[in-house]
Amino acid sequence: MLKTDLWPQLEPLLARIERPARYLNREWGCVYKEDADFSFCMVYPDTYELGQANQAIRILVNRVNAVPGMVAERAFLPAVDLISLMREEGLPLFSIESCAPLSEFDAIGITLPHELAATNVLEVLDLAGIPLRTVDRGEDCPIILAGGPCAFNPEPYAPFFDAVTIGEGEEALPEALELIARMRAEGALRKDILRALADVSGTYVPSLYRWRTEEEAQAAGSWAEPVVEGVPELVVKRVFEGFAESNAWEPSIVPYTEVVHDRLNVEILRGCARGCRFCQAGMMYRPVRERSAENVVNAVLRGLSETGYDETSLTSLSSTDHSQISQILTNLNSACAGKGIRVSIPSQRLDSFGVEMAGLVAGQKKGGLTFAPEAGTQRLRDVINKNVTEDDLFSAIDAAFSAGWRRCKLYFMIGLPTETDDDIKGIASLAQRAYERAKANVPDDQRGSIQMSISCSVFVPKSQTPFQWDGQISPEETMRRVRLLRNSVKYRAISVNYHDPKTSFVEAVMSRGGREVADWVESAWRRGARFDAWTELFNQQAWLDAAEELGLVPEKVAQAVYDTSYVLPWSHISAGVSTRYLALERRRAGEGVITGDCTFGKCTGCGVCQAVGVDNQLMESRAKEEVR
Amino acid sequence: MADPRLFRLRVVFVKQGRLAMLSHLELCRALERAVRRAGLPYAVSQGFSPHMRIAFGAALPVGVGGTHEFFDLFLENYVAPDKCFDALKAASAPDLMVQSCSYVGHSAPAASVAFPVCTYRVELSAVPSCFVTPEEVTVTRKKKEKILSVAEFLVEPVRFDEETPSVAFFALEAKPEGSLRPDVFIKSCIEATVASEGAPADLHVLTLTRIGQRSLSGEELA
Ligand code: SF4
Repeated sequence: MLKTDLWPQLEPLLARIERPARYLNREWGCVYKEDADFSFCMVYPDTYELGQANQAIRILVNRVNAVPGMVAERAFLPAVDLISLMREEGLPLFSIESCAPLSEFDAIGITLPHELAATNVLEVLDLAGIPLRTVDRGEDCPIILAGGPCAFNPEPYAPFFDAVTIGEGEEALPEALELIARMRAEGALRKDILRALADVSGTYVPSLYRWRTEEEAQAAGSWAEPVVEGVPELVVKRVFEGFAESNAWEPSIVPYTEVVHDRLNVEILRGCARGCRFCQAGMMYRPVRERSAENVVNAVLRGLSETGYDETSLTSLSSTDHSQISQILTNLNSACAGKGIRVSIPSQRLDSFGVEMAGLVAGQKKGGLTFAPEAGTQRLRDVINKNVTEDDLFSAIDAAFSAGWRRCKLYFMIGLPTETDDDIKGIASLAQRAYERAKANVPDDQRGSIQMSISCSVFVPKSQTPFQWDGQISPEETMRRVRLLRNSVKYRAISVNYHDPKTSFVEAVMSRGGREVADWVESAWRRGARFDAWTELFNQQAWLDAAEELGLVPEKVAQAVYDTSYVLPWSHISAGVSTRYLALERRRAGEGVITGDCTFGKCTGCGVCQAVGVDNQLMESRAKEEVR
Repeated sequence: MADPRLFRLRVVFVKQGRLAMLSHLELCRALERAVRRAGLPYAVSQGFSPHMRIAFGAALPVGVGGTHEFFDLFLENYVAPDKCFDALKAASAPDLMVQSCSYVGHSAPAASVAFPVCTYRVELSAVPSCFVTPEEVTVTRKKKEKILSVAEFLVEPVRFDEETPSVAFFALEAKPEGSLRPDVFIKSCIEATVASEGAPADLHVLTLTRIGQRSLSGEELA
């Protein structure tokens, strides 16, 4: 049970920092369970503004609170100003609801939303007064769990976590916590609890595996060698089979201060099988599961009346692919008419149907539209299996600009496997032709208001994708290609923005590294690295110095190109998609052969349905949309 | 912008406890959300981004609470005030609880300027032996320093409570050309008091609360 309330110590500090509303608690919709025997704290390893609306935090807190006798609270990493004061005053990291020190919880779960959160994980643990490494934790210490997208290559975090949930946590997390609660009540030793956790399906307990040398790993077919009998050689991800039927209304906490995605988010489907070869989410969340139009519409209406939000977003990886999207949007529009409620869909399909759907939600206010062709030439789009043509893009542009939109952002990736200078010039050419199409659809006197921008990120090879064997290009080469792109864009009305390659480099190392990278993370953190995703706080020197100290060559980790027969450091973790399929997809990429989407056509054999025992669940056939 | 077809509901609420730390913007958003949760038939503005027709009273700084804060909400249909009250009560956080609902006429002055004279209650960490009110207060606005004459704004001088001597009251008047923030004012008083050794150096504000708002003619917000 939680005993300590740190509020009396925290309160006087709040007058000295910015935006105290993020630390106040008492938000609408918080759950308090004061007499729960077992306490769990769900942590987002960044500030409240970034983490409060996170789906994993929201869903998992709700799931754990639904278990009798268990309470789940939230915690976030405070902003730098409060962290400094807390360190000065000796105030440990606290949960939001009870303002209790994290070290008093029975278990802590930290979600790993992206590759640049690793040093923040250490900042969280340290601020909480919890030993950074599992080997140093005593019997009284909370059990430290992880999950989230980066768990699909858990090794750079391996020494810091007691156990890692691979895949969807709706069922896996309560199972793991119930086990911990039962064993703690029986007085079990920490090491026995960890051993038992390895038997919870989808749970990886790093300390039960020895890290092999490269030579050993290539011979054995895996880097992780079980050192305890009976622990799985391969940990396969969990999938929440009941997702489609489960209520789409997920109770939601309404923050006071402004946060990202501050609206009613309703998850309308999970998964995307379009099969872009660089995309980890596409592999991670298969199979595809749709919630029914009725379920979604009821959830939105109930959610709006329970939260008071004036905006709802129908979230998923590809919301316009939902087989009933048009029905959902039409029903919501009529239900929300005249109430000043906005409906939005986060990502549009790149064709006129996507624009039509965007039109259904935009009403009179047409902000900007975002399209992601990802690559500038058809050749490279075929390599990455982005199944859109120039005509798709142009018909989307025609539809958008004739319907009244004036701003459009085009997303591309630089450094994709097989990319040449022609592909870079192709980005400029595509954007320029898109701009001309836009102009042709706008009355003469409004042409000056057309804004088109190119936004580039650097390709980061991700685990569990067909491009996992491919390397990232060096930051210098990235900058050369960015300059080439800038020089190739002749229209001044088109702006070019790009993502800082220095942070993308760290992302690639975290994405592809093995267990040796954990020392690098810890050393960089000790040298002051934290909040790496915040460009203005990114401390490159700390990472460079850390690599030098350890004799680690991060360039090799980020940039090495392997044959598909090479055993990668995450081969003991499976997203359900077989390595054979990934290798096949990599080969097809080299040949420029595209692979279809199994939700629009037939099974392409990725293997996930068999591996996890769940099939695609669609409300209606999607194929009809294709003939439009 | 008075629309005679609408009903102008005046809602009085508190801003207290931890939620005194909300900024004006955060407070406004929280109140709008409470109105939507309450399911009241609020009017919506026309135009590109339609929004709720609501007008807020004079802003309070971060950290300053209020016992009688208010907003005017324009409703499409008449709903009995006690029904509005019950609906808002169920939809409000305890520290932003609604106190009363009543209809006001369309000719009443706009919410933000209706009650320019505000009374505050301040609770200090200690009892000063001699409390000093400075004649001038220097404030920074948009990176420029400006000197305000206290007498122009302070309509009721700082008066300590006889029973609880660490508690004081004062009233400030907001002027069309600007105003003196209560937290800024009381901070300069503390600085002046400490400088003249009227109190130990760690004297500080425990709570600061707006306890009354009235018009220039003395009409109090109910
Ligand atoms: S196994 Fe077949 S049907 Fe299932 S997700 Fe993979 S490709 Fe699609």
